[in-house]
Amino acid sequence: MKTKQNETQLFRVNSHSKRKSDLKWHIIFIVVVILMLYPIVFAVSTSFKTLQEVYSNSFGVIPQNPTTAAYAGVLAKIPFLRITFNTFFVATLVTLFKLFTGILAAYSFVFFDYKGKKVVYFILICTIFIPFTVTMIPNFITVSQIGLKDNLLGVALPQMADATGIFLLRQHMRGIPRSLVEVAELENTPHLTRLRTIVIPMVKPAIFSIGIIFFVNSWNEYVWPLLILKSEKNYTLSLALQMFVSSEGGVDVPMAMATSVLTILLPLILYIFCQKFIIETFSQSGIKG
Amino acid sequence: MENSIRFENVDKTYGKTPVIKSLNLNVQKGERIILLGPSGCGKSTILRMISGLETISGGNLYLNDILANEIDPGDRSIAMVFQNYALFPHMTVEDNIAYGLNINKVPKAEVASRVLEVLKILNLTGFEKRLPRELSGGQRQRVALARALVKRADFLLLDEPLSNLDAQLRGQARKELVNIHEMYHQTFVYVTHDQVEAMTIGNRIALVNGGCLQMLDTPNNVYRHPANIFVAKFIGSPSTNILHIRYENGRVYLADGQSFPLSDAWVRQIEKSEAKELVMGIRPEDVTVGRPDVTAEASVSFKVSYVEDYGNRIGYYFKLGEEEVISIMPESIFGLGDDAKWFINYAKLHFFDAATERSIGDPEEY
Repeated sequence: MKTKQNETQLFRVNSHSKRKSDLKWHIIFIVVVILMLYPIVFAVSTSFKTLQEVYSNSFGVIPQNPTTAAYAGVLAKIPFLRITFNTFFVATLVTLFKLFTGILAAYSFVFFDYKGKKVVYFILICTIFIPFTVTMIPNFITVSQIGLKDNLLGVALPQMADATGIFLLRQHMRGIPRSLVEVAELENTPHLTRLRTIVIPMVKPAIFSIGIIFFVNSWNEYVWPLLILKSEKNYTLSLALQMFVSSEGGVDVPMAMATSVLTILLPLILYIFCQKFIIETFSQSGIKG
Repeated sequence: MENSIRFENVDKTYGKTPVIKSLNLNVQKGERIILLGPSGCGKSTILRMISGLETISGGNLYLNDILANEIDPGDRSIAMVFQNYALFPHMTVEDNIAYGLNINKVPKAEVASRVLEVLKILNLTGFEKRLPRELSGGQRQRVALARALVKRADFLLLDEPLSNLDAQLRGQARKELVNIHEMYHQTFVYVTHDQVEAMTIGNRIALVNGGCLQMLDTPNNVYRHPANIFVAKFIGSPSTNILHIRYENGRVYLADGQSFPLSDAWVRQIEKSEAKELVMGIRPEDVTVGRPDVTAEASVSFKVSYVEDYGNRIGYYFKLGEEEVISIMPESIFGLGDDAKWFINYAKLHFFDAATERSIGDPEEY
């Protein structure tokens, strides 16, 4: 009886100190979350304010007279659906192509043996460190010479393959036990079939998360579309956003914020939907239990 | 009997490191051959060279009397069971087993019947739709075996297939493997570092060490007539006692100066050999010890220096000079420090040439 009492006492001490260290972490996390969420909250709340209130009550989180006027204004002023579709089109095209080229390249780096493989891979990785500003002009000249200026395909083209994706996919493919591929080798399975039946299903979670990164990156791309696109009907969302911020007329803050909110809406929905799916695919993997 | 696998002076090097040195090995058709050796000895490399997953650096490999050096793994009629089972985690048991058949476009109806057959044989019916992670270790091992069997290949290669199972399941799986071989009569090549598996499953055992074949014979001969010191020490537990001795005028002198006479047959055998120095080997279970007052022609006196009780047997340790001898006896007779005697049984002795470490051979009678 006595020992039991001691044990419970001991347990209580432990759980107490555990709670204390938990609290420390909670405080840190709460601060980080506030720092990260505040700009978004600010954007959402401002988008429901009037222009006057923006100046009188800049930092108030709750709008005094909530209004959807800014949203109506945005939809009236720019071909919003068209622009959203443009952005979606470019981001989807870029994501699919990047995954396609990335998966094939990564497979070759992991499962083929050929002379100079290491050198080719090294050169490829080096391209990650070349800044965009260096390739911007050559790419612009190339794209305009093949007649893709002011064309969404011109926005997508230079983004369709990149080393970061190959690098990440290669890392994941290297994690596949060699013996799984050898089982296929003993059956004379062609490489494309190995890729389809074994490698892709096994790195599916990675493909999804890398795909999301590709999509969001392309969605947020600003400088390159700005260089290529001229007519408003071809604009992407990040360019449309700029329309309310720059120019001589000053900044219409509520409308800019409304466009911002609309801009993050689609990737957010996509992410929430995919997150559930990704967790599912992650729990399905795992070879040994 | 026809050979189904033949290695002719096969070498394997990784970069400049030799892994297999001039291997000559014949495996007969339908035989269960065990590649046995300590880890890193090259036994898995031999298996992988048979499968074609590993290339051959020198020499020739024949499968069914056809030179196979350049034949692709997929064209060798080989099925393999991997140590980690290599089941596809995203496929059901059924799809895992049928994988090779589907890839090779075997008609659907035949796939279904062949899968059903192996499922039955391996007691896996009812698990068709499960994923590997929903199975126990033993079940996964059987799925891996089922996938190899369903192929009906000429050769079944097994790379430590039981090493991830617990001891109880392993015993059961050994019997299953032998039964399955009796059903299919494929040529079994089985890699293991477990001598119990080797002794119980193999028709013949190929002992490998340092990339060289040490001995190739039946389990019985490997145990009773070890070809060299490595084989004598590797097989059996505790390991064979190895004693450095001096032979003179028909007598064996031990490290502490005691000596005993040898039988005429052994004397002839030793004199026939050209060994300058000899090493004597004897298994612990063959070291018969008894009370010190019994007189015998060939015996050695000692004091018990350590006792180990295994439950069903007792291990006595004693020292002869610098060298320690272990004796395993069925029952407890002595305590620590007791005087005792080792009665030499000529039939159980092994002599090796100290220079080459090879056995000088056993006389026909002792």
